[in-house]
Amino acid sequence: MSFASTARSAPLVSAFRRTIWLVVVAVLAAGASCRRPPAPTPEVLALTTEALPLDPADGAWQRAPEHVAPLLPQDLVEPKLSKPSTPAVRVRALASASQVAFRLEWIDAAADDLPGAGRFPDGCAVQLPRSASVDAPDPQMGESGRPVEIVYWRADWQATVDGRDDTIQALYPNATVDHYPFEARSLQPGSEAQRQMARRYAPADAAGNRRGGLRQSAVEDLVAEGPGTIAPAPSTTSRGRGVRTPNGWAVVLTRPLPNGLGPRGRTQIAFAIWEGSAQEAGARKMRTGWVGLSMREAP
Amino acid sequence: MARVYNWQIGREMSYWYPESRPRKQFAAVFDTNKCIACQTCTLACKTTWTSGKGQEYMLWNNVETKPYGSYPLAWDLNLLDMLNAGSWNGGRYTGQTIFESAPAGERVLSWRPASDDYAYPNVGEDDCAVGVDGGASFSLPHMAWFFYLARICNHCTYPACLASCPRGSIYKRPEDGIVLVDQGRCRGYQECVKGCPYKKVYFNPMTGTSEKCIACFPKMEMGLQPQCFVNCIGKIRMAGYISRPEQARPDNPIDYLVHVRKVALPLYPQLGLEPNVYYIPPLNVPIPFLRQMFGPGVEAALKVYRNADADLAGLLGLFGSTESVMTKWARRGDEVMGLDDSGRELVRVPMREPVFVRPWYDKANNVFRVNCP
Repeated sequence: MSFASTARSAPLVSAFRRTIWLVVVAVLAAGASCRRPPAPTPEVLALTTEALPLDPADGAWQRAPEHVAPLLPQDLVEPKLSKPSTPAVRVRALASASQVAFRLEWIDAAADDLPGAGRFPDGCAVQLPRSASVDAPDPQMGESGRPVEIVYWRADWQATVDGRDDTIQALYPNATVDHYPFEARSLQPGSEAQRQMARRYAPADAAGNRRGGLRQSAVEDLVAEGPGTIAPAPSTTSRGRGVRTPNGWAVVLTRPLPNGLGPRGRTQIAFAIWEGSAQEAGARKMRTGWVGLSMREAP
Repeated sequence: MARVYNWQIGREMSYWYPESRPRKQFAAVFDTNKCIACQTCTLACKTTWTSGKGQEYMLWNNVETKPYGSYPLAWDLNLLDMLNAGSWNGGRYTGQTIFESAPAGERVLSWRPASDDYAYPNVGEDDCAVGVDGGASFSLPHMAWFFYLARICNHCTYPACLASCPRGSIYKRPEDGIVLVDQGRCRGYQECVKGCPYKKVYFNPMTGTSEKCIACFPKMEMGLQPQCFVNCIGKIRMAGYISRPEQARPDNPIDYLVHVRKVALPLYPQLGLEPNVYYIPPLNVPIPFLRQMFGPGVEAALKVYRNADADLAGLLGLFGSTESVMTKWARRGDEVMGLDDSGRELVRVPMREPVFVRPWYDKANNVFRVNCP
């Protein structure tokens, strides 16, 4: 007996065909949405959501509209960036009740994550006024009495967080070292005395200025009140993670919502990208002016 | 930029900050003619300060063989190529300094060494200025020449490292003029590494900040000379404090050598930093080379040195005679004394060391004193 020849099977076949069509239509609709993402927005829209993904590859980021921010060389204060490098950064944003997360993606052919003499790591940063405001301070690092808050990510810190050894050979594979004082036989490996000896020869570390070495986080919270005033925040509460894409970097930076930024609030944000291959560091960077940042409830 | 006075170039010049001289200025005199490039100074510094991770390549003190030796590679030649150098009109420099020739967007004229430039700390060691053919022998003046140049941070009056730092992480101590990198504030931009023409600031890749010679300030604060000075085998160095030329005191050994006798000269004064390590130039090196390196006072300095009188010879004998900083000195007859600020005697050195002859055979003990058979 064939399935189609029975009188009782005719309604089943019809229902099956309708289901197939619905599936086809749904797939086509989904395909269409993949081919045509939301048009880039003139400002950064942070869609509210419950959980903020730290992984730049998380699919949740595709729901957030993208803002493409053109970058300018920092040419306002010396030392200036004389030659433009990274042309633009693509930004998506999501927000929870207490946090806001940004996904920055930019083109960078070479991953620069090795610190060294004459070597500079890739990096990125987002900057917001300390309190949400449309009347933001000077976008160039804020103003005296009107601070800006910065979340800063660096590729060499990410490499360390991802497991790179804290040795000179990890940076210079052919380096040979005869002896470090903290490796003296009189010092018990792992002892406090050994750590103290190592710190004596790591002055920045001893001064509490953690610019290198082992790290728990690839980001640093900073505050500034004008060029040359940048300083670490009392503590880093922001989180961040960067990964290589086929042609550059994608970095997620998550920080607490700025003061006064409610569910439908609006403030300003600025971005900066450092291209290590172009020896960019500090003031030598590609940057934006202020860009609007608005909170939007997810549809 | 501000206008400041630089006595080494005999004129005002542009600098990033207004003139602000310290109450005292750390300074040193190196006698290049006594240096044998044993690198004991280099190791004294190395073991004291730069034995940590990330400091492996750092030589806050180094000794290089001129004309070819350089660390990092071609530190001086690269900048001299870039500098719009002019000539000297007497003691006045008519060309541009590295501050005055800074390109748009930059604070100083400079170049940045790559990692590889630090890979050859002793390149050019003992290389002569010309080839030495088989059978050649020295005659005077030397056809083939080289000399050793010991280098530390110059603790400049107008430091380019300090001017280059966009966030004020480098400071010059008002109490002694020593230039330091604030290790709590530096963010490792390496602008100072690029800006210092003498390339005496080093980036530490393990701590992520830049580091440099600190003139052993914990010792200087105790009235003791830095490690590279007191460990010098050839006794080529003296550390102290220098006055401005119009305030020079003949009883200050540094003032006497630099200002009174003008026998010790700054390194590349035309760069405009007013460096505070002063060199007695080497004998038997072509004058044009020395003029480029030490300025227009070279011939006069060499003449004074060649014809050293009792005072000058005696003061040079105080080099390496004590660990203490001698802020004053005096000669009485055949003896020279190093003194502290209060005039207290720190060391006394005879003009001529007594000679003792040890017989090759000790008759009393019937012992031969010949070391080799």
